[in-house]
Amino acid sequence: MAETVVTETRRQRKEPLTDLLVVDLDVHLHESPGELAPYADSPWDVALDNIKDNHEHYLDMPSFSPGVSDGSYQAKFPTAHEGARMVHDQGQMRDELDELNVDLAVLFPDHLLKLPVLTQAPYASALARAYNAWMLDKWTSQEKGLLGAIIADSHDPQDAAREIEKYADHPDVVGVYLPCAGIDPMWGHRMYDPIYQAAHDADLPVLLHSVTVTHPVFPFNNHGFDTELGRHACSHTFSIMANIVHMITTGVVVRYPNLRIAVTEAGLSWMPFLCNRLDKEYLERRRDVPFLEERPSHYLKRQFWVSTQPIEEPENMNDIIKMIELYDGEDRTVFASDWPHHDFDHPMKVNQIPFPSEEMRRKVFGENALELFRIDSAGRRLNLS
Amino acid sequence: MTDETMVERPGGREVKDADDRAVKEGREMQSEQQREDGGGAASADGPQRDAGERRKREHVVGPVSEFPDGSHRVVDVGGRQIGVFNIRGSFHALPNICPHQTGPVCEAKQVVGTLLATEKTDWDPEWVKDGEVLICPWHGLEYHIPTGQCLAFPNIKLRRYDVSVEDDQVVIRLSSRASPSK
Repeated sequence: MAETVVTETRRQRKEPLTDLLVVDLDVHLHESPGELAPYADSPWDVALDNIKDNHEHYLDMPSFSPGVSDGSYQAKFPTAHEGARMVHDQGQMRDELDELNVDLAVLFPDHLLKLPVLTQAPYASALARAYNAWMLDKWTSQEKGLLGAIIADSHDPQDAAREIEKYADHPDVVGVYLPCAGIDPMWGHRMYDPIYQAAHDADLPVLLHSVTVTHPVFPFNNHGFDTELGRHACSHTFSIMANIVHMITTGVVVRYPNLRIAVTEAGLSWMPFLCNRLDKEYLERRRDVPFLEERPSHYLKRQFWVSTQPIEEPENMNDIIKMIELYDGEDRTVFASDWPHHDFDHPMKVNQIPFPSEEMRRKVFGENALELFRIDSAGRRLNLS
Repeated sequence: MTDETMVERPGGREVKDADDRAVKEGREMQSEQQREDGGGAASADGPQRDAGERRKREHVVGPVSEFPDGSHRVVDVGGRQIGVFNIRGSFHALPNICPHQTGPVCEAKQVVGTLLATEKTDWDPEWVKDGEVLICPWHGLEYHIPTGQCLAFPNIKLRRYDVSVEDDQVVIRLSSRASPSK
């Protein structure tokens, strides 16, 4: 890590973070049953009201975000790592993002990162609808640079498509969040086509976001790992990769060629691997994917945006540049902090990457995100009908 | 660190906008480790100038009664935020900047121990260094307070400021190099 703290003083002058446009693809607000209850359809409002005074474990609450996550399967030793930071209102978020030099940010939920593990389908889609309405009422504000990703609940793709159509022209909505944690079948399955279609028609990108859970579906059947280190290393990463593989090999990228797809919180080091592995598979198994007209990596490099967080920290940060080059990612790599979560990235760490040009630094920190979301530097949508 | 461009950080810390420089100041520099001890205090220019230089670098941060055993607190010393730790009567002072991503390392709500496993323990974990481990609130990096050593990365060490108790006052001496506490 010694290399990662050394400033490259002899390079061309680095634009300070305060002057750079920083668009943060992934920050987390905090929702609770009590806050969603007033926005929920009957009878689900009664259920949310019923649990609103229950003790809330971090991202772990029966009848809201159930299931094992965040190390519950192992011993808990005393620590000072504040792994359960939360942001409770718009004002706090804006203040804290200011301290991180973030200009525009896209909001994701906390508890509802685990939405797919709920077994009760109508409850899950009611939660998604309540969350979307509440988020747009209490949190988002284009003027304040807080933009929203509306949830597309996988339990009811038709309902999710209706939500997308409903908010297609909302000035604060810049993307459609596709929850990946515990999802089965994975994104790519044709049952989700109404969601891709609606997002495509609204010119909204879809944003895949996972989280660590232990759940009996691939790749979350991770109870075999002793430790949270093992589970966390293989959760977001394997989930995002598997969903991408599914979306490419079911032809989503061909049937919706203009659908922009972003993936979050898996870092970026796996991109060269995935590009190469899929191309190698294609040699032997092209007829499994007869609808592809080009090798798979071309779709991956062209149609997918990758967020940086948690940015890998090799001993030589120049390795990050090498990896970005390996997937031609100069125009597809976007900064994300994941504030306030336990492994958030302060922009200063991404700023230590020895970008070969100031142009690339500006692209990664902001301009690529503007392109992905079709927004201007003030966060205004450029694609409203 | 009295630069005008100080920016507030989540948690109320102030550091330079040039985060890399701030991180460097927090890290024990290889070159500083190699300089001989006593270069500043034992000046050849005479006692008066010498005493003046020492007074200039001394900062009284408070009475020792305000730093009870087992406690730690961040104090402002000449514009720097420094965490002062009392571990069973021994005082240690570390910068409140984590070399990882500039987190407020000394603002950890509690000082703890950690787990180590060695061949001697047949690779079974033992709880060790109780009361001597500082864990950064931001990402959980562990530091051994008396030595400043980052447990995960051998090449990362927090600089240790010169802190002592004199006439029941806790005194920190800021010099251009880190002096290991005795």
